[in-house]
Amino acid sequence: MPYDVIIIGGGPGGVAAGIYAARKKMKALIITDSFGGQSLTSAAIENWIGTASISGYDLAKQLEAHLRAQQGIEIVEGDLVASVAKKDGGFSVVTKGGKAFDTKYVLVTSGSRRKKLGIPGEAEYDGKGVVYCSTCDAPLFGGKTVAVVGGGNSALESVVDLIPYASKIYVMVRSGAMRGDPVTQEKVKSHPQVEVVWNALPQEVIGKDMVTGIRYQDAVSGEMKELALDGVFVEIGLMPNSDFVKDLVTLNQVGHIVVDHATQQSSCPGIWAAGDVSDVLYDQNNISVGDSIKAVLNIYDQVKKGFSA
Amino acid sequence: MANVTIYSTPTCVYCNMTKDFLKVHKVPYQEFNVASDLKAREDMVNKSHQLGVPVIDIDGTIIVGYDQPKIASALGLK
Repeated sequence: MPYDVIIIGGGPGGVAAGIYAARKKMKALIITDSFGGQSLTSAAIENWIGTASISGYDLAKQLEAHLRAQQGIEIVEGDLVASVAKKDGGFSVVTKGGKAFDTKYVLVTSGSRRKKLGIPGEAEYDGKGVVYCSTCDAPLFGGKTVAVVGGGNSALESVVDLIPYASKIYVMVRSGAMRGDPVTQEKVKSHPQVEVVWNALPQEVIGKDMVTGIRYQDAVSGEMKELALDGVFVEIGLMPNSDFVKDLVTLNQVGHIVVDHATQQSSCPGIWAAGDVSDVLYDQNNISVGDSIKAVLNIYDQVKKGFSA
Repeated sequence: MANVTIYSTPTCVYCNMTKDFLKVHKVPYQEFNVASDLKAREDMVNKSHQLGVPVIDIDGTIIVGYDQPKIASALGLK
């Protein structure tokens, strides 16, 4: 018996879809590496509606507990989807761990992963001063000089994580403006340990055994400059996790799955997508939850009608 | 029983996930907070040749990050 729906991803969207699918008594499976999504490493989430402040880790635990409280939902945890292929009456979903499942419908809520700088030295010094998890590694930079690359909310959060530890924090922003929330921008820009470097285009991470600095181009003057650093915190945005359906659905230029925003259906009948992996305008936990529920209710309508892809 | 050491920082989620995983499987471990313990930090860098947490030492097998399949396999769990 194939599943009615396989939900790919365990962030807030995937969990919300799983809860609704179970309550509709659909035969549903959720496949996820871990729960909580990208907010997992946030020290404090202050816009999750209904809760004034919660850590990403606590939110992840709450989401998982809420999902596991549902009867009938099946969960594969600690694995990732490698491929989705069309077959008679639906799809075959295969995991990196080698498991295979058949399903009538697929809901992709696999979110995004961090974008890398893609400059020389970045991979070489990964873990040797180049950092992608500021809540994890900020405490290791006590009294050090670091740069945070990026100008969005995740970059600003990274600066907030570093303020109690690092003695000097440069924020390297590509343009002349930041995109992050104005409230956090104020907090960060006015802090005496923080210096914003505007129009900075990173060119190379330099080091010996560990990072010793970064080379960048001033986008206005074109001049090449260097900063002496002990650490580079990379927070430059996200890449959608859509590789495993890229041959089945229409993607936009960035790789987001293009959906009908009334139903969350993709260009491929039988595949829905919601949250950051879709071409939604705003990447937000609360929006992912709503859009994923919209998707799973639309899938339920199809199941009731007895359609298959 | 394997001799397990984890190098962590107090704010590191993946460290907490690693510790949760060890607790669920009833694996005792020794923990060093490398945010404050500089000697332990040096040991961690010497063992893993890098400065990110968590680092897990399972009978000399060094694992960087919360890599559940690798940890399970080093512990001989199913």
